Amino acid sequence: MSDGSQVLIIGAGIAGMEASLMLSRTGRKVYLIEKLPLIGGKVIKNEESFPNLECSTCMVAPIQQAVLQDPNIETLTLTTVEKIEGEAGHFTVSVLKKARYVKMADCIGCGMCYDPCPVSLDNEWEENLGKRKAIYVPTAGSLPNVPSIDSLQCLKLSGQKECSACVEACMFGAIDLTEKDKKLDIEVGTIIIATGSDLYDVAQLSRLGYGKYPGVYTSMEFERLFASNGPTSGELTMRDSEHQPKSVAIVHCVGREELGYCSGVCCLYSFKHAHFLKHKLGDVAVYNLYTDICVPDKTHQKFVESIREETQLVFYTEPTELSVDKKDGMLCVNYLDASGGKKSINVEMVILAPAMVPGKDTKKLAKIAGIGLDDKGFLAVDGDGLGTVETGKKGIFIAGCAVGPGDIQNSVIQAESAVSKVMSTFLSEVS
Amino acid sequence: MKKVGVYICECGPNIADNVDIERILASVSSMEESEGIEIVAKPYKLLCSGEGQEYLKEEIETNQLTHLVIGACSPRDHNSTFINVCKQTRLNPYLYKLINIREHCAWIVHDKEKATDKAIQYIRGGIRRVLYQSELHEKKLDINPDVLVIGGGIAGIEAALCLAGPERRVFLVEKSDKLGGKAAEWGSLLPRQAGGVKAIQDKIGQTEANTGIQVITKTRVNNIIGFLGNFEAELCQVDDPETTTDLTVGAIVVATGFRLNEVSSLPEFKSADSDEVYTTLDVERMLKEKGQVALQTGEKPKSVALIFCAGREKVGYCSQICCSTTIKIARQIKEQNPETAVKCFIRDLCLPHKDDQAFYQQARDLGVEFVRVQTVKSDGVGVHYTCMDQSNGTEKFDMVILAPAMEPAEGTTELSEILGIPLHETGFYEEAHQTINPVATATDGIFVAGTARGPGGVTATLNQAQAVAGKIMVQLIPGEQIVPEVKVSEILEAFCMGCKTCLDVCHYGAIVFDEDKGISVVKEAVCRGCGNCVGSCPSGAIQLKHFTKPQLYQEVIEALR
Repeated sequence: MSDGSQVLIIGAGIAGMEASLMLSRTGRKVYLIEKLPLIGGKVIKNEESFPNLECSTCMVAPIQQAVLQDPNIETLTLTTVEKIEGEAGHFTVSVLKKARYVKMADCIGCGMCYDPCPVSLDNEWEENLGKRKAIYVPTAGSLPNVPSIDSLQCLKLSGQKECSACVEACMFGAIDLTEKDKKLDIEVGTIIIATGSDLYDVAQLSRLGYGKYPGVYTSMEFERLFASNGPTSGELTMRDSEHQPKSVAIVHCVGREELGYCSGVCCLYSFKHAHFLKHKLGDVAVYNLYTDICVPDKTHQKFVESIREETQLVFYTEPTELSVDKKDGMLCVNYLDASGGKKSINVEMVILAPAMVPGKDTKKLAKIAGIGLDDKGFLAVDGDGLGTVETGKKGIFIAGCAVGPGDIQNSVIQAESAVSKVMSTFLSEVS
Repeated sequence: MKKVGVYICECGPNIADNVDIERILASVSSMEESEGIEIVAKPYKLLCSGEGQEYLKEEIETNQLTHLVIGACSPRDHNSTFINVCKQTRLNPYLYKLINIREHCAWIVHDKEKATDKAIQYIRGGIRRVLYQSELHEKKLDINPDVLVIGGGIAGIEAALCLAGPERRVFLVEKSDKLGGKAAEWGSLLPRQAGGVKAIQDKIGQTEANTGIQVITKTRVNNIIGFLGNFEAELCQVDDPETTTDLTVGAIVVATGFRLNEVSSLPEFKSADSDEVYTTLDVERMLKEKGQVALQTGEKPKSVALIFCAGREKVGYCSQICCSTTIKIARQIKEQNPETAVKCFIRDLCLPHKDDQAFYQQARDLGVEFVRVQTVKSDGVGVHYTCMDQSNGTEKFDMVILAPAMEPAEGTTELSEILGIPLHETGFYEEAHQTINPVATATDGIFVAGTARGPGGVTATLNQAQAVAGKIMVQLIPGEQIVPEVKVSEILEAFCMGCKTCLDVCHYGAIVFDEDKGISVVKEAVCRGCGNCVGSCPSGAIQLKHFTKPQLYQEVIEALR
């Protein structure tokens, strides 16, 4: 029975995790809902984050551990929200908790069940650059360190064939193929939505050759190539060969004109990528093609300047005119320079920095919560022009990249702000 | 007689398959005679499990263990698990040690014999160490939930409004005679902040009316001592420093805002007083007061140049909000006087908010001209520039508006010293962690919000102020106590020679100098246990509890065997 103090947080990325830990300190019960089998969101997909090039996994691991071990936080992975009813103080949230098929209390994460599994497929968490099994953890170091079974791919669960290879391999009896998806009704007083963002689908811009030329990558694919726990163990080898590129063009502002906004973080990580390339490969020519260099925080310009010598800055105009094609075995990046003249650079690899867009489930979730979206599809902030994390609905708050593009610092600040709103929701002002 | 319990976890096949646990136990048992202690050494299947924890509790009680060593996985995984086990027994949790023989031995040394040798070294080192460990006792401290907010601009006002409540008072200290700061001087905000001007005025009104907030104007902060939950602040009147007031609070919010860079002193932007050259702040005030932009003669300018990023090279950072606000001013001028030529000289446009780019596009559609330049200088109302294609240009305008960088407010350096918190190299306050703890500072209990921590606009400032409120609300709960860190530094009086080196290296302001005794003293409640002072002390007078030199030495001896 809820006394109105319980909080539901949707999304276990940096914003959701930070908010849950803060609220737990006050003794509140927190339900942390996450659709993926692991917590940590997008931050853990980057091995190093700007501006300090700090190890993201090291930075976030203590937070993930704290969340999973916190007695006040009930983390529900593989869970999505289906319905939200009620009002501030008395929300009833219906969630669908998909079966993991592995008992969290018994599994110690020894990993003996992966090898025997006969099913191998592209790992979507690794941007399809690596493979996984039907029973899997998305990446080495996933937390919770417990695999889940993809029921559509598992031979037994999808009804294709009798198979119990993983069950037999597990010496703790932790695998339970009879587990069922569960529907749960959770009663809470307030809700924080922190479901994050995705990257613009660059396949939609055929002029850029993504999907057509294997040498064209998205920034997130490159992050996984660079990551030491990634599909190539950090070797910067190209997708169609074991070859390491000798020349790379990094294209900023992909999708900026089409979508009509700057995403505020891509310049920074694109320079970070230039640094990664130079650092790992040494003998490589790097070009950063940009329209504006956006470095909004007090630490950012210095970061970019420190990396300045490692790349060639190429200013380009008319972003919708930039194209990538293939000529004589090289990728040719065609662009317009400052005077509108046609120029091109020949490289072996192209990394596209796409706009940040709302996560693909944002629209559905907004409808479920009864809150609005802005004209770009992000969750809309309410509040006479000076709103920060409030929605039109009392008791429901939003934080992080689901509200708009931003960096990790921004997501954390919004999460902390949302916590203050949750704490004040039922207090009346002294007057 | 000391009785050490040593439990080796099999961790399923992880450890059991890769090290010879029996050999470890045998080696450990042989220490009984050589060290003159009693040892209980046993293996267990899975110590972190529910059953494992119960087993450990029973073992501690039944065997009356005085010390506990566990050979298992990484402390990151289960240190807190076993600390909790100790807390449920009479064994002080600081007389226990978790040795990682999984990640450090079983998982990386592929030869079983060698892995076992290494694990033996580690475990024996751990046993030796634990014998030198001391009981440490966590203390609970009462806290004061009240908050001191320094700065009555929009950041301070917002923090005060969020925090003030029936059980928490807020003291809002402002050096000028009124609330509102810079934000109250804007006649208009960005379209995405429509309604914001009135909202700011409303907030000022609400702050003044709120009986939970004590507004103290014409006052500044003289001195602060203390720590989270227990700060003492001395305030004084700006025009009568001898008149002081004392306050006790639990947390402090620094919200002292910004000022604009003195762009008129830069050689690239020479101008005389008689020249029609203004900063964006001058124009904001002009617009608020007169409703329009006019020359000194009162006439409207026929041509206006707006120079973005004025002085950016000097400060070395982007001020985040000037592109938007300068575009706002350009638009207003154009909307009021469509015949006026309005030309913006821009470098890289900083438009990180999702609505900014459309706003810029609308300005272009209205007829505001934007020229992308590599360099730009002004001499009075003459503007000289180099375009991206290397071509040069010179133009004269009726009026030139410069958009200068934001800098920390006057008095920031002095206040940071009073508070004992560090400044970033840009002069703004430094965050505890730039990414994951951006509104806290190196000192627990002191927070920073708004332009005092870096350039930004009204929305970002409000967000930070609310974030600070959130952090204070969860750390200082009225009626509850806090438990400070126990693994802190301590200075041995007899060895301290008063050189004060430790004061220099302490990043957290946790060491003070006792003038009477001539020695340094650690403020335990502020100390974070980083150990910097230990390394810096030339007399070896400082030790870190739970990481003393004898303890570390014992571990190292085994490693060197």
